[in-house]
Amino acid sequence: MYELFFQNFNTKVALTKEEETLIKNYLIPKKLRKKQYLLQENEVCKSYAFIEKGALRAYSVDDSGNEHIIQFGIEGWIVSDLYSFLTGEPATYNIDALEDSELVLISKTAHEELLQKLPKYETFTRLNITGAYIAMQKRLTSIISSPLEERYTNFTKAYPEIIQRVPQHMIASYMGLTPETLSRIRKRISAK
Amino acid sequence: MLFLAYPQWRLGMHRRSFALSKTKNMKTKKTIAIIGATGNMGSAISKSLSKGNYRLLLKANEEDKLDVLVKEIESIQTKAEVGVAVCPAEAGWEADIIILALPFGAEKEVAKKIKEVANQKIVISISNPLNETFDGLVTASDTSAAEELQKLLPNSKVIKAFNTTFAADFSSPVIDGKQVDAFIAGNDEEALQTVSELVTTAGFNPIVAGDLSISRTLESMQLLLIQLGIKYNYNWLAGWKILHN
Repeated sequence: MYELFFQNFNTKVALTKEEETLIKNYLIPKKLRKKQYLLQENEVCKSYAFIEKGALRAYSVDDSGNEHIIQFGIEGWIVSDLYSFLTGEPATYNIDALEDSELVLISKTAHEELLQKLPKYETFTRLNITGAYIAMQKRLTSIISSPLEERYTNFTKAYPEIIQRVPQHMIASYMGLTPETLSRIRKRISAK
Repeated sequence: MLFLAYPQWRLGMHRRSFALSKTKNMKTKKTIAIIGATGNMGSAISKSLSKGNYRLLLKANEEDKLDVLVKEIESIQTKAEVGVAVCPAEAGWEADIIILALPFGAEKEVAKKIKEVANQKIVISISNPLNETFDGLVTASDTSAAEELQKLLPNSKVIKAFNTTFAADFSSPVIDGKQVDAFIAGNDEEALQTVSELVTTAGFNPIVAGDLSISRTLESMQLLLIQLGIKYNYNWLAGWKILHN
């Protein structure tokens, strides 16, 4: 249930068996079915999810009812509405499962206790957040200044698994495009 | 911080998106696993909670009876999300809340099966640990069925609930013109709040009686009600109501 989680943890900071057992006490094993919600907007995000198996997406909905995908998550990734998780304010993201998934959830309370009790958990958290920040900066820069074809090519190179597992209209939403525009871009790329 | 920015920076390139949003502003459905769903209490609880905004996962040994129960619930509550689980561990893994609708004697076995997947989750103890002649409890006076369950599931949030309500009460939560009180007890504030909502969905008036050790009183109370019911022919439709100022 927690193999990938501890593998991932140990890659960032090595744990002793005792420390693993301590952390295990706090983990929530959660199976989510395809299309089930983990979080809906306006709720407070009370835990973050590490994906042991499966795929999730986080998306916002605008006033016209259109969905905009902010993030995908697959095995080894963490998904949450971090803003809501950290501040206790209502979430702006909806998170649901793209496939039947197995998650490891860590509640806010568990998170705070672990931060107090285990310095290595603090390191784990720091590395997760800095990693997320770096990724977000890259993405923001690319959205603002890269041509669409380059953005798509970079995305397929960096995350080929996501391209395979996620329907094209969702990739389009993630990139901020209509499905038709994405189709055109893909044709242009393959014509080269 | 920059990476918490909202998506307004997308520069309006995506007016149309293929899918319109699902119902906004609905709380995320919690999944409730009911182990022992075909028993008297199990089926009463299952039918009752199917009225609420929950996804139910039912598990029982009698699979035929289970299918009948699911069909019954689907016909009464057409919007209900009800499924069948193949084993308690699978049910517990998907669940956010686990209800053990089992006699006290069966809890130990099931607790072993769900221990791992019930980590940090709410587990509801409904049992009254009566002896065979219904004139006493099998638990010692310094413990309760709920506390024994908590010992078996140290990382779960055990809550005592629905032990003071009979199965028939779920179809008639108002008896003699009064809404039945349903007592709950536990050590975790948030879990108590969540279970209070379940009790309200079932149609009862939730009263948080105290921490988990109060289960001793609640289980003794129900022993009394059972004895009175037998003596005075309440026909298993009876409940508690606190009169107060």
